Amino acid sequence: MLFNSIDFAVFLPIVFVLYWFATKGSLRLQNILLLVSSYFFYGCWDWRFMFLLIFSTVLDYYTGIKIYEAENRKKKLFWLWLSVGINLGFLGVFKYYNFFADSFADGLSLLGFKANLATLQVILPVGISFYTFHGLSYVIDLYKDRIKPERNFIDYSVFVSFFPLLVAGPIERATHLLPQIHKKREFNYAKAVDGLRQILWGLFKKIVIADNCAEYANTIFNNSADYSGSTLVLGALFFTFQIYGDFSGYSDIALGTARLFGIELLRNFAFPYFSRDIAEFWRRWHISLSSWFKDYLYIPLGGSKGGMWMKIRNTFIIFLVSGFWHGANWTFIVWGFLNALYIMPSIIFSTNRNNLEIVAKGKYLPTPKEFFDISLTFCLTVFAWIFFRANNVTHALSYISGILSPSLFSVPEIRPKVTILFILFLIVIEWVGREGQYAISSLGLTWIKPLRWLLYILLALVTLLNSGSKQEFIYFPF
Amino acid sequence: MQRFITQTLFICSIISLVFLSILSRADGYTDPFYVRFTSPKQESLILGSSRAAQGLQPSVFKDYLKKDVFNYSFTISHSPYGAVYLNSIKKKLKKNTTNGIYIVTVDPWSISSKTKDPNDSINFGENKLCLANTYLVNMNPNFEYLIRTFAGKYYTLIQKKRGSLFLNNDGWLEVNIGMDSSSVARRIDAKVYDYKTNNLPFYNFSSLRLEYLYKTIQLLKQHGDVYLVRLPVHPKIFEIEQELMPDFDRKISEVVTITNGYLDMTKENEGYQYIDGNHLYKESGKLVSGKVAKWITESGKSKIETTSNKNGNLINRR
Repeated sequence: MLFNSIDFAVFLPIVFVLYWFATKGSLRLQNILLLVSSYFFYGCWDWRFMFLLIFSTVLDYYTGIKIYEAENRKKKLFWLWLSVGINLGFLGVFKYYNFFADSFADGLSLLGFKANLATLQVILPVGISFYTFHGLSYVIDLYKDRIKPERNFIDYSVFVSFFPLLVAGPIERATHLLPQIHKKREFNYAKAVDGLRQILWGLFKKIVIADNCAEYANTIFNNSADYSGSTLVLGALFFTFQIYGDFSGYSDIALGTARLFGIELLRNFAFPYFSRDIAEFWRRWHISLSSWFKDYLYIPLGGSKGGMWMKIRNTFIIFLVSGFWHGANWTFIVWGFLNALYIMPSIIFSTNRNNLEIVAKGKYLPTPKEFFDISLTFCLTVFAWIFFRANNVTHALSYISGILSPSLFSVPEIRPKVTILFILFLIVIEWVGREGQYAISSLGLTWIKPLRWLLYILLALVTLLNSGSKQEFIYFPF
Repeated sequence: MQRFITQTLFICSIISLVFLSILSRADGYTDPFYVRFTSPKQESLILGSSRAAQGLQPSVFKDYLKKDVFNYSFTISHSPYGAVYLNSIKKKLKKNTTNGIYIVTVDPWSISSKTKDPNDSINFGENKLCLANTYLVNMNPNFEYLIRTFAGKYYTLIQKKRGSLFLNNDGWLEVNIGMDSSSVARRIDAKVYDYKTNNLPFYNFSSLRLEYLYKTIQLLKQHGDVYLVRLPVHPKIFEIEQELMPDFDRKISEVVTITNGYLDMTKENEGYQYIDGNHLYKESGKLVSGKVAKWITESGKSKIETTSNKNGNLINRR
């Protein structure tokens, strides 16, 4: 069930009405309803993988209690590794087995050996990377004595499988979400309206921006040999806005939907394309994943405590793992490596925390220096996205060499005016609203009601008219 | 809460009204399928793939047979014989009809499958396409089709661009395309290349599809007379078909026995104009429709056991 489908448009109001009316304010009933509807939502993708989700939930619930009750560190460690091992084992089999088998066979063939390793025809269970990371953060937090185990199985299951975040995040933390699941929730008009507004903006980004850009990005990337350098640049730009519109749009819908049920999820995007350096970009892009890697990988590896070399090594590790997390393809690893390279100057010169506030706060326009920094960071990001989008590394390299040709200065063969206008509209609205939680969080709030409603109606209609062929979200298979 | 629900419903109603009024602008230019899901239930049908969709013109049949024969043919991807097509036909058929006329077109592709196992019905391509996803096939405007299945973007409904394809209200897909010899030759070459590289190596005869052809005819027989037709194609495409299924006639022989007749028009392949080798040009389609209609009229009158015609191989059974 896609967020941008008619099925979801029917599902959401039904769950909403049942949640606030049929449960009569009973927290227990509300949580049961959330769990049942989450499993239904997940089952609509592929009911067979529900068992995997349930197994993963039971495993982490049980090992979590065992970790807490273990008498000594050794036993705690045993239960921790049992959970981590099985969770990563599933992830490995479903997501990475074929990659390793193919890479191993390729490696052997380079040495002159012929290897014919069997590859598995496995379907990747949707959301597996996300709910595995939910579970991992929970057991690791327990092991580190940051939290106490959740004894109520229903509540724990809601934490893992709450439908807005189930298939593509944000990757939640027990410390943030579980207390909300325990707390009595009452309807709040302002929050619900805010939720709807965020859903509307998310749908606009997904349907109008991402899906329109996808059409051109796909055409250009899939036939890159046929296009001029300037068109290839345009293709990379389209993909840059496609992935942003797609994933941040998804996150907005997820956050807005959760807010309708009185639950606040972690913010996942904070206007990343207005970043002034790569470190800032990574504090603003897929925030829940970046902070997950920081807390559960970078810091346990020693973080920045072991001197400069340790810092550099750990930075490379988290970016490479982050790349690999996105998929079993060398393109993602190169993409992670490139980002690690980009961030190195700010790590070495300790300037990575220079830009903590949003750019040009309280001003209409950035300074020339800020504008230059934003443009440079944006260009570096666009370049890295080429690897992310390409079918393989060879394709990415040929794409780049296609850009670096005399035809770079020719007029692009593809010039979709309407899509470019939509992108410009997105940039303007995001710039104006960059100090809020999402671009239109305060847009029109001071206007008279009919005018504000007209804005929502127009946005909704533009979104609806641009829909039609439903495209999956890019991050679903990750 | 009440305020929230009232306001949300109010805004959603306005959005829905505007949106639905835009959707109701959908017509024959919208896509090559929509209009077929907007007509009422039908007494007489033309069935098959895009060859029939473009080649057989209901208006011609009406002149000869004095009946409305609705063209409910789609494409080889959407409507090869199988459970999906049969279920959709059931929904399109007017119950209690006993004097209908059903023109069922066949060719090797319509009883073949691209799946690895040609009888692997779970993975049949049409399972994910519009015939499988459209539950309401007799609604005008058909919002269900437009919302659930329509593959384009809705703003195209406002633009009302006139393309080369127009789906008439009787289900006939009219194609208005340049027919100068060089364009035609180019399109035929492209189609032949496409069939040789993308279809021939992957398609295999499916006994399950043949069984469904049988079932489809059995269903139609309860409502009237069923005529089986193999439409003409360009000789180059015919060659590919022969390669795919040289014993096509033998394979369908059992099916023929339960029909009111089988007309194989591939003997006159050379006599018509094709837009791309696979589909008849509309003028030729008119001629072919006339011949089929005449043949049906004659077979209705004569009720003979078996006969043949110098223009083609005709086998009539009553």
